[in-house]
This record gives sequence, structure tokens and C-alpha cells, in this order.
Amino acid sequence: MRMLFGDQSLLSRFISVIKVALAVITILFPSQAVSYQLAISNERSDEVLLHDAEGRVLRQLLSCKRPRGMLVEPVNQDLWVACSDEDAIVRIDPESGEVKQRIAGFSGATNLALLGSEQLIVSNEGAASVSLVDTTTNVIVSQLPTGNEPDGIVYSADHKRIFVASENAGVVHVFSSEDFHQEALLLTNLRPRRMAINKDELWVSSEMGSRVEIFNAASLQKMDRIIFSPRGFRSEQLTPVDLIFSSDGLTAYVALGAANHVAIVDVVTREVEKYILVGSRAWGLELSPDGTRLYVLNGLSDDMTIIDLESRRPIASERTGLVPHAVEVVNR
Amino acid sequence: MRSLVLFALLAASPAAQAIELNVGTVRLKGAVEQPTTFAGIVVEPDRRVDRAVRLAIQESTIKFQSFGIEEKLYDLELDPDQPLSAQLAQIDQTHLLLLDLPKTQMVEVGRIIDRQGAVGVNVSLADQSLRDELCLPGIYHSMPSERMYFDALSQYLVHSGWRKVLLVHGSSDQDLRRKTLLAESIKRFGASVSDEREFTLSHHPDDRDRNQPEFLTGGSSYDVVAVVDSAKDYGRRIEYSTRRPRPVVGDVGLVPRAWHYALERYGAPQLNQRYRTLDPANSEPQTAMTDAEFAAWAAVKFVVNSMRADFVDKDGLKLRALFENEDSRVDLYKGTRGSYRSWNHQMRHPILLTSADYVVDVAPMPKFLHPTHYVDTLGADKPESSCQLGK
Repeated sequence: MRMLFGDQSLLSRFISVIKVALAVITILFPSQAVSYQLAISNERSDEVLLHDAEGRVLRQLLSCKRPRGMLVEPVNQDLWVACSDEDAIVRIDPESGEVKQRIAGFSGATNLALLGSEQLIVSNEGAASVSLVDTTTNVIVSQLPTGNEPDGIVYSADHKRIFVASENAGVVHVFSSEDFHQEALLLTNLRPRRMAINKDELWVSSEMGSRVEIFNAASLQKMDRIIFSPRGFRSEQLTPVDLIFSSDGLTAYVALGAANHVAIVDVVTREVEKYILVGSRAWGLELSPDGTRLYVLNGLSDDMTIIDLESRRPIASERTGLVPHAVEVVNR
Repeated sequence: MRSLVLFALLAASPAAQAIELNVGTVRLKGAVEQPTTFAGIVVEPDRRVDRAVRLAIQESTIKFQSFGIEEKLYDLELDPDQPLSAQLAQIDQTHLLLLDLPKTQMVEVGRIIDRQGAVGVNVSLADQSLRDELCLPGIYHSMPSERMYFDALSQYLVHSGWRKVLLVHGSSDQDLRRKTLLAESIKRFGASVSDEREFTLSHHPDDRDRNQPEFLTGGSSYDVVAVVDSAKDYGRRIEYSTRRPRPVVGDVGLVPRAWHYALERYGAPQLNQRYRTLDPANSEPQTAMTDAEFAAWAAVKFVVNSMRADFVDKDGLKLRALFENEDSRVDLYKGTRGSYRSWNHQMRHPILLTSADYVVDVAPMPKFLHPTHYVDTLGADKPESSCQLGK
């Protein structure tokens, strides 16, 4: 590849062309779905497993202690995994499982996000900070102090701000992504966990507050909140964690934790359109590349529910490792 | 609108007058910290709650700062031989008192500080009468009640199909009172007491045979042995020595607790880790908050978790309004949020069912969930309680 294209920008341009071509093919031949696989981190069985798109286990990709957050690098499609109990993050080939890079020195690495093409930001659950790490030199460039138990990390749509949720302090830290100074603090309900950005909206799940809070990502004003009420569950049992938007930004999917349901939310009206029963303690969410399927990880029943989003019904439940945490689409 | 106010506070906090919050830990002068049984053997640590309070304050810094709250920690050692009201004269509505006191003083201090507008939290006594007959308007209880512990245990027995219970208990007043509560709880959830056996702590030769665990647990049919031994002395001899090969629960064996070092879920490992590293001199891997320490931690965290602009104005912090507000709540690191029951000021808790090194289950059990607050099947529910403080 190097010889053919000489530099990175040409390579990424080539990849974009391929992606566009693939998208065109998908539109022209809708039955020819893009093939992909799923990587799932399992906290309690210390492994990342590779599954096919139907949820069946193919093989073990990585063995490391308490793997949790993961992300796919857009350029080379490699998979980064936070190995919490090794205080390290590793980059693997999501097909062969080959470990290509390993960076240590994080205290209980929980989640991670990409900052440009050469920097990662990692939340250190054990140290009340996030680390900025240069992936070309493996050096931790700086540490930003946060409240205890930092978890989710997201960027504003213009990439000018970094949002970090501190579960224990009940706040979201707002950092400038230029000089990393703290611009503001958002006070949230109990135990903010994960966040998702949809244009100018920042959605924050509050696990112990049983709600999702919506902030304006520019003005930082609180705009709205979504309260859930699936039948047969008391408010205290609703412990939302992961949330994800459809690619058109019109629908949000929220995993309701101990309430064993996923909520489908209309982004415009803020109405919950449907609650779908899944396995026990639903946390991790991922959409298929074509947006027709939602994968839901059930941390206490050690399985994954696959939801068909056209009929909005669960179509299969497949076993995972022990205490599945995060799921990412790989090898597409 | 609320967030607007918060931003104004954030912006103004360095210049604005600091809002006072005084957190006092109250105990008796000369209180014994570590009761031992024999030859210096400590069965159950009974530490001061200070370390847990410091932890809760450390966890609260960011939020207190954003509200302009300046917290002060202090210790108050009361002399039981001097009038208590004089010793509490300076306590006003800016004080949150964590009461680690015997029952008599707990009740008296509660009455005094209630008149002075402060809030007191019982962080050490599970005694049921404090929640029921005594019904103290000035005191909240972040320590679970005896009924909550026993209800959790009884639910677990029924859940496990261990319905015939041999009840073994001591002869002290406290043991007899707690034995009655446990028997009521066992019946309430559909199990039954097959027989009751009393042991004594006497060393009289005539009692020796009677106190043999094999003898004490013989001649009856049962699925499980429940032990009530408040002194945590004799009860330890029963496990592995019962006449029939049956599990032992209660004050020994499977013990209901508010907190445990081996809780793996709900963020508990992080909380345990922070507690250990706060005091490096006492940071053994199995060191964890006692139930009283956890109650003290939860009492402070309730304030910070419930803090909002409505409770802060130019006159300072409205601590009592915060406690009385029905939306106030605390993240207990046990899978749900805690709040105070309006009728008897008892904090709602899930209760852990623990062995020495494992959290076997967390009550309430699935078949015993209350229709409104699911943990309200643990302890006296509103219609059953003789205490009706709320509206």
C-alpha cells in the first residue's frame, strides 16, 4: 500500500473512494449488505471475542485483563481496547488479533476516544483524570484532572470541545480541545455515564438518576431530559448507560441497564416510541453499518440481543463471554 | 432556568460569600473504639466513622465548589455526665451532625438539635425502636434498621427454599429483642421457625453441655440455622458444628450487611479502592467501610448528591429543606439510588447478603419488590410503621 500511494493522505483518499463506491453499491444492490463482524469486550472473562454479524462467536481476538472501552481507528480500521486491570491500552488487528501496539501507564483505563489522527484520550477510572497520549511515540502527553470515576468521552461536532463524564462527582467536564483548559462544568443528575453528540446536542445518560439529560453543546445550557417508564419497572430500576444515534440523527437508542430494555427515542419530539425487552442489564450498544440492526450487550445474562430496526423486534440472542461490556463493528 | 442559576453561581463563586456547611462527627467522650471478645481477638471492626466522612468530602469537592459551599469538618466529643444542651449550644442550621452515639444520647441530642434547626443523622444504630416507637423528627437514619437486615435475610431464605429455620439466640435483652424481630420477619416472608434455642454466655458448669452447638442444634428438623448473637462471641462456634449439615445465617455465616469489600458491581470496587488509598497506613486489600462508616459516608453523600440551586440562597444552605425534599437522593453504589422514607426518616438501602469473602446476593430478592420504591419491602413500610412523620 505504501508503495502504491506514497503517503497517508492519498491512502485515506483511496479509502474514502472505496467507501463511497461501497455505499453506491449498497444503494444499487440493497440485498448485497456490507459484510462486517463484531468485536465484543468481556470484562469478567478477560477477552475480546470476534462475532459474525449474526452474533455467533468466531474466535478470541485478544486476552487481556478486564477489557472495557474500545474504538476503531477510521484510517487503518485497527481496534483499540482499554485493558482496565492492566492499566494499558492495546491496538490489535481485528481480523488476526495480532497486537500491534501497547501503551501502559493508565490507572484503570476505562474508555477512550480519538483526538485527531495521532492522539488518544483515555479515561482513568482509578486516578480521577483523563490522559492524552501520542500514539506515534506512546508518550502520555498530559493528564487532565477530573472528578472521580471518569467514564464516557465525546467531542462536540466541530471537535472544539471534549466532554468527559465523572460518575462519582456527578458532572461533565468541558475541555477545550485546543489548549485543554477546562471551559465549564455541567452539573448532571446522579452518575453520568455515557454521552453522544447529535449536531449541537449533547445527550448524557444518568445511570442512577434514571434519565437522559440533553445539553446544548455550544451554549452548554440544559435543554431537556428524558424519563423512561417501561411497563413493570420502578423508577429506581432504570439505569441507562449506553446511548447511540441513528445515522440520520432522528432516532436515539438508549440501553436501560437493570430495566432490561432498550428505549427507542424520537430525537425531535423526545418521545419514547418503543421499549424493547432484551437480556439482563443492557449496557453496550452498536448499530450495524447499514443501520438496520441494533446490537445490545446484556452484562448479567452474558449474551447479546440483536434487534431488527425495521420491525423493531428482537430477532436473536447469542452468547458472549462473561459480562460483555462494549461492542464495535469491525472488518467491514 | 435552573442551569442558568448554576452558571451564575459558577461565574460568581470566587467573589461571592462562601456558603457554610459544618459537618460534625459526634460521639461520647471515652467511647471504646474496638471491643474485643477474648485475648484481643477482634471479630467485627468498630472504627470511628471519620475516615469515611473524609472520603465523602473528598468526593464532593467539585460540586461543593461549584455551589460556593465551604465545608468544615469537626469532631464533637460529648461528656454524658454534663448537660448535653450546653455542649450543643453552638449548633445551628448550618450543621450536619453524624451521630455515632448510644441510644439514650442519640435520642436526647436529636431533640436538642431539632429545636436548633440542625439535621442529625444516626450513622451507628440499627435499633428498630428509633425508627418506630421513638419516632424522632430531628433525626434521619442512614444506618439500615434491624428490620431491614432481617427482612433481607428472610427474603433470601425463602428465595433459596430454606423455609424451616432453627433460631438460635443469646439471652441478653438485645438478643431477645432482635430474636423476636427476626422471627417476625421470617414469618412475614413465608418461612417458619421450626424451633428456638437459647444459648448463654455463662461459664457455669451446668450450662456447658447445654451450650454445645451439636446439642443446641439437635432434636429438630430444619433447613437452616439462624443465629442471633449481638455480642458476636458464642455464635461463631455454631457454624460447621451443627447437628445437621445445614447452612448458618444471621450474625454469623451468611450475614446481611450494608457494605462489603468484595462487592464487584455497581462501581463498588472504585469506592472501596478510594477508601483504602485515603489512609495508606490502613490499606489492606480487605479493608472496607464498616456498616456505620458506610452510613456516615452515605449521609454526607446524600447532601452533595441532592444539592441544587433551590437549596442555596443568600441566607446560606437550606439543609433541612434538602432533607425534606422528596427528590433528594444518593448514589449508594449498590445498583440503585437511596432516599429517606418520609414516614420514619429511614434511608432506603439494598442489603448485601455476604459470606466472609463474597457478596452472595443483593436484597430485595426478585419476588419481593415493592410496587413503588422497590427496596421498601426491607424494613417497615408506610402502612405498617408506627411512626408517621411525613405529610
